[in-house]
Amino acid sequence: MAGKVLIIGGGPAGLEAARCVAQLGGEAILVEKRERLGGTPDRESYAKLTHHWRDSGEAIGELVAAVTGNPRVQVKTQAEVKAVSGQAGQFQVRIECGGVSEDVQVASIIVATGFQHFDPGRATQFYNYYTFPDVITLTDLEKMLKEHKVVRPSNGLPPKRIAFIQCVGSRDRQLGNEYCSKVCCGIASKQAVELRQQLPDSKVMIFYIDMRMYGYWENEIYWVAQEQYKVNYVKGVISEVLKKGDQLLIRGEDTTLGRPMEVTMDLVVLSVGMEPSAGTRQIAQLLGVKQNKYGFIEAGGPGGLDPVATSVPGIFVAGAAAGPADLNDAFSMAGLAAARAVAVLYQTQVA
Amino acid sequence: MPTTMENWNPGKKQERYPNVPYAEKERLFLEVKSDPRYEDFLYGCYECGICVSACPSARFYDYSPRVIAQAMAREDIERIYEIMVEDIWNCAQCFSCVRCPRGNNPGGLVTLLREVAVRNGLQETREVLKGYSRVIYKVMLKGNQVSPDMLQPDFFPDWGPWVQQFSANMSVWRRAIPVDTLRGVTDAAWRVDSKTLRELYTIWFETGNMEIIKEVDEGLYDLLVEVMEEELEEG
Repeated sequence: MAGKVLIIGGGPAGLEAARCVAQLGGEAILVEKRERLGGTPDRESYAKLTHHWRDSGEAIGELVAAVTGNPRVQVKTQAEVKAVSGQAGQFQVRIECGGVSEDVQVASIIVATGFQHFDPGRATQFYNYYTFPDVITLTDLEKMLKEHKVVRPSNGLPPKRIAFIQCVGSRDRQLGNEYCSKVCCGIASKQAVELRQQLPDSKVMIFYIDMRMYGYWENEIYWVAQEQYKVNYVKGVISEVLKKGDQLLIRGEDTTLGRPMEVTMDLVVLSVGMEPSAGTRQIAQLLGVKQNKYGFIEAGGPGGLDPVATSVPGIFVAGAAAGPADLNDAFSMAGLAAARAVAVLYQTQVA
Repeated sequence: MPTTMENWNPGKKQERYPNVPYAEKERLFLEVKSDPRYEDFLYGCYECGICVSACPSARFYDYSPRVIAQAMAREDIERIYEIMVEDIWNCAQCFSCVRCPRGNNPGGLVTLLREVAVRNGLQETREVLKGYSRVIYKVMLKGNQVSPDMLQPDFFPDWGPWVQQFSANMSVWRRAIPVDTLRGVTDAAWRVDSKTLRELYTIWFETGNMEIIKEVDEGLYDLLVEVMEEELEEG
């Protein structure tokens, strides 16, 4: 075996990829732009994970510890990849860390630069997000849930009636994000349960197009929310959010009961989807890997079945840099990307 | 009334039963919900419609077991009240709807709703059940269903396309049935001896059925009690 694996991005996928490369006997250099490892769950102060309702800080903390304490992983925070040349087996990489440039040679690269949450003000004013303080996003609510202090931003009082609007920034041809962001149904349902736990007197409603609770999310999150926590699911997407007194009036259709509806709410949560992060867009350009029409890194390889292969041999992708992904997806991809990246190290030795 | 989730429907809001106070509607719902069977009858609703596709009543009447499960799951108090005074009487209680992937029993919910509607003697319930006083009279007093000779096929499209043909020859067919309790019986569904009748009367009293009848139709109750008590004394 010869050479090292460069991992770009210190979120869940990058961390897991680094751990796996080390477990397989390889050496990794992990480059992270932020001061801290942990990626989006850390930066956005996630409360609980959809997996076993684990505390996010604790779960991600374990992952960080497994990497920072690992002699086979060299962690560089506040660091950015500035230039890459060469090919599989011998990439020359320039890393800038704290104003100092360093050139390293690696055999393979794993891109794990992740996603960003859709900004409801990106294209047009979605549901008056930037106008009404009581219209918030999943990420805004996640922070409040973590602090166990869910209040209406307008008056600091706990909300009694809370609505989630699904598919904000996803599944929208006009917006350009035609894809399903995959996790928002689960996250909204998870948050709805947490809301009912923290505010037992609240009414929580989720307005959706389809509930996409794949696999065990069905019975572990969706059914729990609906049956134990009496979260109301209404099939029908809200067209607009208006002001009514000091409350919000939302308009939509209750499609299965076949009637238009107007409901007042204290708090409206926009279930924002995933878009490629700025880092993902930049690094894709820099590496020359193909991006799909949405800006995510195109994965699949020539046969279409390899979820971690990019258009450039020796460069692999893991996690939400390749498209909407939950933590299971990110971990599965990270493990496979690590195996493929280490395989390059073996091939390099043979060559 | 303040705008709450329970009256969120502008199409029907304040229009259908505005004279019934919200608190009363809620009380009735809570009575349904407090039934020990409720938890087994309702989990959560996908709104998938499998119950409607299996429901014979839904094919002939403006009736949807899905809406029942849905309204109950959402605890939509106003809609539940509408259901309690209208929809539930369109259910044939055949329980085809129990083929529910979530394990719900919409027909069972209808049973609970009916029991609460009757127990509380709702005005609409009395009206609906008026037409059934003859049936109740027959069933409870004679131990019989409506007899075949009372059949009016035009009123029962849900009995199928052959009901006219059956009706035309009913008397002949009945006479041919080789079962003791049915043979030769054309003015009743089957023959009931007086011992069986006395047992039935005892059951009606002991199980509280007579109290329920009293709640919806006192005249019928008086009539039934008079005959029943006489028969029981004779026995």
